[in-house]
Amino acid sequence: MRILFFIIISFFTITYSYSQEDQTVIKDTILTQKLDEVIVTATRTVRQLSSLPLPALIIGKKEIQNINSTRLNNLLNEQTGLITVSEFVGGEGIQMQGLDSQYTLILIDGVPLVGRSAGTLDISRVSVGNIKQIEIVKGASSSLYGSEALGGVINIITENPKNNGLKGEFNSRFGTFNTFDNSINLNYKKEKFAVSTFINRNSSDGYQFTNAADLNTVDPYSNYTLTAKLHYDISKNTKVSASGRYYIQDQIYAPTEDEAGKIKINEWNTHLKVNHKYSDKWQSYFEFYTTRYIADEYLNSVIDNSPFSKSDYNELLMRPEIRAAFNPSKKTSFIGGIGIDHETLDRTDFTTKPKINSPYIYLQYDGYMNDKLNVILGARFDNHSEYNSQFSPKTAIRYKLSDKVALKGSVGYGFKAPDFRQLYFDFTNNFVGYTILGYNAVETAIPELVEQGQILNIVVPISEFDGALKPENSVGYNFGGTYKPFSNLSMELNLFRNDIQDLIDTQLIANKINGQGVFSYYNVNQAYTQGLEFNTTLKIDNHFKISGGYQLLFAKDKEAERAFENGEVFARLSPSSPSFQLSKSDYFGLFNRSRHMANIKLFYTYDKWHLNTNIRGTYRSKYGLLDTNGNSYLDTYDDFVDAYTIWNWAINKTFKKNYEFGVGVDNIFDFTDAPESATDVLFVGNIPGRILYAKLNIQF
Amino acid sequence: MKTFKLFTLLALFIAFTSCSNDDDGVTVLEIESRTVSNLHAPQTGGIDQMGNPLPISGEFTKFDFSTGMTTTSATEWDIAFRATSIIVNGGVSLETTDEPIRTGNAAAYFATGTMASINAVVLSSLEQDSVNGYVMAQWYTYAGPPTHLISPTPGKILVIRTRDGKYAKVEILSYYKDAPDNPDAFVDEERFYTFNFVYQPNEGEITFQ
Repeated sequence: MRILFFIIISFFTITYSYSQEDQTVIKDTILTQKLDEVIVTATRTVRQLSSLPLPALIIGKKEIQNINSTRLNNLLNEQTGLITVSEFVGGEGIQMQGLDSQYTLILIDGVPLVGRSAGTLDISRVSVGNIKQIEIVKGASSSLYGSEALGGVINIITENPKNNGLKGEFNSRFGTFNTFDNSINLNYKKEKFAVSTFINRNSSDGYQFTNAADLNTVDPYSNYTLTAKLHYDISKNTKVSASGRYYIQDQIYAPTEDEAGKIKINEWNTHLKVNHKYSDKWQSYFEFYTTRYIADEYLNSVIDNSPFSKSDYNELLMRPEIRAAFNPSKKTSFIGGIGIDHETLDRTDFTTKPKINSPYIYLQYDGYMNDKLNVILGARFDNHSEYNSQFSPKTAIRYKLSDKVALKGSVGYGFKAPDFRQLYFDFTNNFVGYTILGYNAVETAIPELVEQGQILNIVVPISEFDGALKPENSVGYNFGGTYKPFSNLSMELNLFRNDIQDLIDTQLIANKINGQGVFSYYNVNQAYTQGLEFNTTLKIDNHFKISGGYQLLFAKDKEAERAFENGEVFARLSPSSPSFQLSKSDYFGLFNRSRHMANIKLFYTYDKWHLNTNIRGTYRSKYGLLDTNGNSYLDTYDDFVDAYTIWNWAINKTFKKNYEFGVGVDNIFDFTDAPESATDVLFVGNIPGRILYAKLNIQF
Repeated sequence: MKTFKLFTLLALFIAFTSCSNDDDGVTVLEIESRTVSNLHAPQTGGIDQMGNPLPISGEFTKFDFSTGMTTTSATEWDIAFRATSIIVNGGVSLETTDEPIRTGNAAAYFATGTMASINAVVLSSLEQDSVNGYVMAQWYTYAGPPTHLISPTPGKILVIRTRDGKYAKVEILSYYKDAPDNPDAFVDEERFYTFNFVYQPNEGEITFQ
């Protein structure tokens, strides 16, 4: 598989050298006036992607359609440096610049998705059928977005009707594992008034690996997404829009053979927006966003239907925000905002029903000092009752050396507020007997346990929990440049480092008489992720495009690194062999990180036949999932998940202008890494094997 | 294979000890180096099928370094095992059911290193079991779900003062019967200790060389 990858790479290099020779010819014969893409996520203003001082990426509707993607997770997996990682049953979160999914903010039309019941936001619940583009900004972005934007931001921009009249689109895809995805888009526009609706149903039988006993690796599920958006121009200068989204999912839940249950997710959001232009220089926005995420699950015994467990999760976020933009000149713009987040959570195993209000304010300056130098300065202040208030500055600079070369760099602060679980959890595992307490729950829960006679001894005194848990925070550095030697070839390099502090981890705070522990959260770890990202795109002509990307990553815990340096870490090759000392170079890094990730994509359009086809490959080098040799660190003597490459292919043909039929294969070579036994954990759970599919798209 | 390994160890041991027996005019006793296999340390109680805590009980399996064997003596023991708990014959009892009374002056600490690199006892590090817990509680790494494996943490050497003021060092190798190369917590029988130890039989001698 790796060999194939290198063949493609060399093919790419050869084509590249060819194209250099042909350069003048292409330039003379075809007017390749590429429409420059614009991005709103990076600055909260409309900006040209190519002139942005920050590392960012746009995935357009055309690419989404050509690769026949239906869910956000498989789409993001094909982008450089992004990988989805399964973190709990049926949940896939995104890893960006080596940071876990808790540290990437996911937005739809600029407002956040909630429902991180276990820290991860399951992005497979996002349908991409009504999307105009996906904007990805890498690097700490808390200066605009506050909590969670520590590693970056992914913003899903939905489509707005452009032309007057009624327009519709029907899309259907059917594939392996009885996976159906059907959606209808209906848009209507008449002068000042526009409405768009989207209905999607997605279902699958799931899949299971043979050795995972009777248990499905992904249990059967079905879900619906409904969205509606109204837009009205009250006057030339005043615009109003209201949108709503509703998502409902049912999934079978069967973690063991003896248990059967269901997980039901209900999610909705409403978003009201008013935009008024006072003059050419001033405009303001008023936004009101509300979202609720409800997940209910239960588990019963298969034998007598008696209940094993039941849990509820009900989260609400309300956010009014006022934003103003001021453009004193064409080269200078300011944007500022003030708002408040009101959050509540009602959850099983919680000591209280937390209600949190956190007001915030932010301001950003974006200006051109001269034709070559662009500077962005921004900062945000978040006030909070449950943890230390946060001040998040950011600065970014882009300097144009020539028409072909530009340099850019940015430094920003990012943070992630402790989640409700880390503050208020009070959970005892009924099967094993351990207890997990949120930081704020320790003071009340430990005395209770002592009173019940459950505590053998206390390891960390309660007085240690007097203060407040600090938000996890990081300083992100990004430096790089773009090089466009020819109009059809572009290259971009970015070096990144995220210096993370106050990472929240669990520690043993007391021992119970049943031999199990009581754990709580505390700020301890310092970690970093650093590496480089390289992307290149070559348009051989208007019909043939090749792109490639590579990320090198080192993600390490600083204390672990010190322990290795000090010679405190040992390993043994087998239980009968004596242990030996490990050196610094034996430390591999954090779990679930691959040193190398790469992708290559070829897109080809054949106009004469109204045909387009593409082939995409993604490579991931080996990674560790857990310590397998008992020293609690991931070292080179541990067992790893082997490197793998996935190849996807799609072909689509348009008939009579409005009908498009497509077929494709995801994972052509049927790569799987299934568990070897029921206790084997070193397997790839989210790749079920080859997927064949067909899709139909009708425009009307 | 396993039998072969055990046999090799046994042969080496015999060779080693027979060599030492060749010395005559013994004034200094030879340092003993041995492997103990499958020391069984059962326990009753813990948690039931539904996860409810049950009182832990069961006799500790006692070990005597001077004989290199387990013992049922109430006083002539140095350390004792019950499931993952290891106690020393010194200090105070946590008063769990069936926990033996400490009659000796044993103590212990964890040294970081390999069996070969720990050559002397740091007397100031020695501690006895106390109300705060057993001094040798953290000898293992628990993998958690789904493997639930208990692995002796590599690099943790138990340095022990015996009940009568002699010294030993111990490296625990396995918690599963016959010390399998790839233990499976659901298949292999647990609570069977395999460990290497070096015993310094000369009174007051704090080195292992």
